[in-house]
Amino acid sequence: MVPLSWYLALSAVLFTIGVVGVLIQRNAIVLFMCIELMLNAVNLTLVAFSRFLGDVTGQLFVFMVMTVAAAEAAVGLAIIISLFRNRETLNVDEADLLKL
Amino acid sequence: MQIENLNLNYGAVAPEIIAAVTGVISMLVDALSPKGARKTNAVISLVGLVLALLAVVRLEPSGSYFGGMVTTDPVRVFFSVIILLVAIIAVLLAGQFLRDEGLPPGEFFTLIMFATTGMLLLASAGDLVTVFLGLEIASITTYVMAGYRRYDVRANESSLKYFLLGSFSTAFMLYGMALTYGATGNTNIAAIRAIIGEGRVEHPALLLIGAAMMLVGFGFKIASAPFHLWTPDVYEGAPTIVTGFMGTGPKAAVFAAFLRVFADGFNVTASPIGAQLQSTWISAVAVIAVLTMTIGNVIAISQKNIKRMLAYSSIAHAGYALVGFVTGDFAPVAFYMLAYSIMSLGAFAVIQLLARAGDQKTEIADYAGIGFETPALSFSLAIFLLSLGGIPPTAGFMSKFFVFKTTWDAAPHYRWLVIAAVVNSIISIYYYLYPIVVMFFRPLAPGFIKPRIATMTTVALILTLVGTFYLGLLPNRLMNALGQGQKAVAIQPRLGDR
Repeated sequence: MVPLSWYLALSAVLFTIGVVGVLIQRNAIVLFMCIELMLNAVNLTLVAFSRFLGDVTGQLFVFMVMTVAAAEAAVGLAIIISLFRNRETLNVDEADLLKL
Repeated sequence: MQIENLNLNYGAVAPEIIAAVTGVISMLVDALSPKGARKTNAVISLVGLVLALLAVVRLEPSGSYFGGMVTTDPVRVFFSVIILLVAIIAVLLAGQFLRDEGLPPGEFFTLIMFATTGMLLLASAGDLVTVFLGLEIASITTYVMAGYRRYDVRANESSLKYFLLGSFSTAFMLYGMALTYGATGNTNIAAIRAIIGEGRVEHPALLLIGAAMMLVGFGFKIASAPFHLWTPDVYEGAPTIVTGFMGTGPKAAVFAAFLRVFADGFNVTASPIGAQLQSTWISAVAVIAVLTMTIGNVIAISQKNIKRMLAYSSIAHAGYALVGFVTGDFAPVAFYMLAYSIMSLGAFAVIQLLARAGDQKTEIADYAGIGFETPALSFSLAIFLLSLGGIPPTAGFMSKFFVFKTTWDAAPHYRWLVIAAVVNSIISIYYYLYPIVVMFFRPLAPGFIKPRIATMTTVALILTLVGTFYLGLLPNRLMNALGQGQKAVAIQPRLGDR
């Protein structure tokens, strides 16, 4: 059987790829996909713990996360589209009207 | 989690149910009325919020329901009252905002009600799953509200930044929850507390990393340094009333969950791992508090835009509230968030009126000389700013005094934190006085038009003004209630102790 630490390492790597992606990518859609990757890395962690602890709570948590991620995707895409209608760009660096 | 212990008690979630149902009703009313239902929906929302407030007051004083998913304790009751007051004031202000801007009127109230549902759930969460769910319900609705002025590029940008950084921080918080679950085998906060207290943690390192990531997540949501970079942009770009709403309600709700997870769940010293965890997070919070106060106040000094200035001020205020956090006690934080919510909402209400449609006039220079042109508004704004600066006899002074005194007495190791906070409040007075000087002692800026104030807005302004002075002059009743709440927390049996 694959040991727990492998699952945890894989999800940590996926999570890190997501974080690095958010930090270096500039396209709003790609940023959003990186965030989804982070959420799914967490899901993997939860399912792995759930399996190894013999406890069902982790899997229930994953259902919640998936539902929320779906809602977030709907709202996020709507926000990106409304920005695109006004600016004709998806590059977050060009969304610079407000100084950072 | 045994089935016979589920304790399904729908009375215990009555406030959340009322808020959600009101949201659905207002959505249907808006869909079925041909010209939009601004007034009807405002009234429906107000009725729903008042009913929810009654339901909160009628809650059993303590208990754990739905298998520990929802808990009732003084933290929940006090923070629910703060959230509902914020929502009521936001609904009162929304009517004029929507009419002046010509925005679609119905959904705004629906969004406020759904955000309120999420915030109430967050304040009542007894389990990490409910914390996550409440946080996301509140966040996703506020992302939409930030971009409500759809044709305005600034609002789009504000909404996009809020959305991306908000979801980014949620992912961190979620990873922290997953690791905590892995380390303790439980998602219930009371059970986690019991397990840490007995030292039955399988992987202590996972627990520490999990707690750190949750701290990052909460830090983002309450806009504390070094996770505050999104705040000024989001607050400046969002419509002013939304800025006022999301700077107060969700922040208070996140503080409630933050308190429950850290000051309750991770606050046991009975075992070595518990002691290590507790001392680590308390010192981390202390460092974050100092950074937050200092960065917020110092950058606020150089701001030219009043909304941006108040955004930095809101960062600084999160820092003051965090000072109370190191005592591990909810009372100072709850009192602080109540006072802050009232005065901050009041200030944003005045700014909304003075800014005119589309938030055109939000530079401090636009306020030149208006002091005696619109005395009601400028004097109210002056009072709110002085209160934010902590000048007696206002709520701002009393809340700061309460937080600083409690920390000074209860946490001798953190007296340096109180000194830093006092120095910071003195610095902050400079930038709070600056707009007042501009309003009253500069020549009138050309093109000033006296804003029209709707009845509902007047009611909201009077409520916030009365609240500011009430908390400043007669805080005793509330403080006694909070003190009794503290005792109730101390004797309340915990789920894991059985």
